[in-house]
Amino acid sequence: MKILVCLKQVPHQDARLDIDAAGTWIKEDNIKFEINSYDTYALEEALRIKDAGEAEVVVTSIGPDRVTQALRTALGMGADRAVHVKDAEIDGSDALGVAKVLAAVAKEESPDLVLMGLMSDDSNASAVGPMIAELMGVPNASSVMKVELADGKVTCERELEGGALEVVELQTPCVLAVQSGLNQVRYASLKGIMAAKKKPIDVKGAGDIGLSGQVGAGAAKTTIDKIYPPPKGEGAELIEGSTGEVVEKLVGKIKELGLL
Amino acid sequence: MHEWSESQQMIRDAVRRFIDDEVAPQVEELEHGDLPPYDILRKLYSTFGMDEMARARFRKQIEAEKRGEETKKKSSGGDPESRADQAAATLIPIIELCRYCPGMVTAMGVSVGLTAGAILSKGTTEQKERWAEKLLTLEHVGAWAITEPGSGSDAFGGMRSSARREGDEFVLNGSKTFITNGPHADTTVFICKLEEEGVDLRDRKILNFVLDRGMPGFEQSGALRKMGLHSSPTGELFLSDVRVGMDRLLGGEAALSRAGGGRESAKGTFQTERSGVAAMALGIVDRCLELSLKYARERVQFERPIGEYQLIQDKLARMEVARMNLQNLVFRTIELSAHGKTMTFAEASAMKLYSARAAVEVAMEAVQIYGGNGYMSEYVVEQLARDAKVLQIYAGTDEIQIRAIAKDLLAA
Repeated sequence: MKILVCLKQVPHQDARLDIDAAGTWIKEDNIKFEINSYDTYALEEALRIKDAGEAEVVVTSIGPDRVTQALRTALGMGADRAVHVKDAEIDGSDALGVAKVLAAVAKEESPDLVLMGLMSDDSNASAVGPMIAELMGVPNASSVMKVELADGKVTCERELEGGALEVVELQTPCVLAVQSGLNQVRYASLKGIMAAKKKPIDVKGAGDIGLSGQVGAGAAKTTIDKIYPPPKGEGAELIEGSTGEVVEKLVGKIKELGLL
Repeated sequence: MHEWSESQQMIRDAVRRFIDDEVAPQVEELEHGDLPPYDILRKLYSTFGMDEMARARFRKQIEAEKRGEETKKKSSGGDPESRADQAAATLIPIIELCRYCPGMVTAMGVSVGLTAGAILSKGTTEQKERWAEKLLTLEHVGAWAITEPGSGSDAFGGMRSSARREGDEFVLNGSKTFITNGPHADTTVFICKLEEEGVDLRDRKILNFVLDRGMPGFEQSGALRKMGLHSSPTGELFLSDVRVGMDRLLGGEAALSRAGGGRESAKGTFQTERSGVAAMALGIVDRCLELSLKYARERVQFERPIGEYQLIQDKLARMEVARMNLQNLVFRTIELSAHGKTMTFAEASAMKLYSARAAVEVAMEAVQIYGGNGYMSEYVVEQLARDAKVLQIYAGTDEIQIRAIAKDLLAA
């Protein structure tokens, strides 16, 4: 069994985010990055499948040199090898561009399973997983909460609205976009981190995977016009006074609005 | 070495994540409650495979000893880069834990560093197998008992604890104080003097015995109340006619005829202890600076963030200078390990002196930047300032370090 895990490196959750001069993204210099939290669950699920039997876990990510650290972390946690797609030509790709790159890596690797997070912490699009499946011509399940493998089939529990779960069966190869919380993500052991240095990271450009001229800002069908902090709203009423007075006024307000 | 390598940064990030998840939520209970640190430390060890790594290293050493090979120095395996990573893998958890709970490092260091270290350096192969392995993996908690009510800096000279030989047995008596892990220790290395007719008390032979919890005549007190390091239980030990066989004398029969009377080997333990203090100080200073910067940006007085005032900037700049110096000292420690070298005793003392003073100065200045809030327990700098003070006292006071440095300089 071979599992390909797609990882995105995103700004660290504690990073101070400032908008760049063009107003279309954040300033990326001098901030810390980490693996997208949703993707860590996908990686953990792949490593559990590996622990339970025979599996090779390959991780892949797109981005500049800094992405190496995300890949090394995954290798330290137990992945076997990595494919780093690094090419300035890919910069500015939209979700479809990213999906094309990852699908091309997947086609070269021919995994039985492609795993990734449901969405990324930074752009929250949830688009890449289904797009990869479509480009590969294989089945897909999103918002996966449980994965079971047997006889070339994958049985998944998917999270639906209102706490309901849906059970679906997919033929392999397939693409699964996992929900956060489906497992407890392990820490890389110190020995694992030290051993990760010796594991291979294969670096590829757009041309190496047959996508020269087909990805990047020029090929993007979606572009970001502007990002900005939400404007301050109006109509908020500040209740002032001692604690007793505040509680009394608040209860009066709730009753006045008919909320109680 | 001028910066953390990629894999060292990965170790730091992973340990920091563990501390955010497992230590930070329990700091209140560790510092102001009665929660002993051992279960969290064991979880740290098992999560990162530190117990397995320690066991593997230990087994390798024991197997070599049994084959009659010369015991290799612990840093002799692998290339310089992997030796550097090994050293960093020991120091990074110390730095990271000290950002929250320096007491936990003290509890851990005394158990795996001092107690197991003493058994590994002085014990027979059989004694190492009997006691050291479980200490190195933190399965057992260890205490290293040297200080007494009447002997601190003059550790050996003023020591009154005694071992009286009776045939093949020894009868141990004495009391020890300020013993880290004393209340909880499963295994205690008890340092005392052999009763020798006609030999002055100051010149008597120093012996190390291994005691187990619950031995007849061996009493371990509850935790003493102290200024800081609340997450590290400290206690007293009382021995009244504790009978032990030769199997509990570290080094066995040979220890009775060792030159130097056992004083030199304890110095090796002091040296290890001292070089760990730079990493502890770095953790405290790093966190104090981080918290101070945050506060300097957010705290507004006279309609400006206090970070805009030069008196505050001066404190922040001095903190950064201390952080850089401490980091460089840690890098030097790692670099020496990578090349199989160790510091001289005087150098380790100089490093300890600077580190302890820097940690206290920075932590007290962090309290000053926080002002009234800094004096309140709710703001972490208060705890770090109390914790930092011990670095100037234990593992040799500042004054003892100065004496060691000056003695070395003047002898040259």
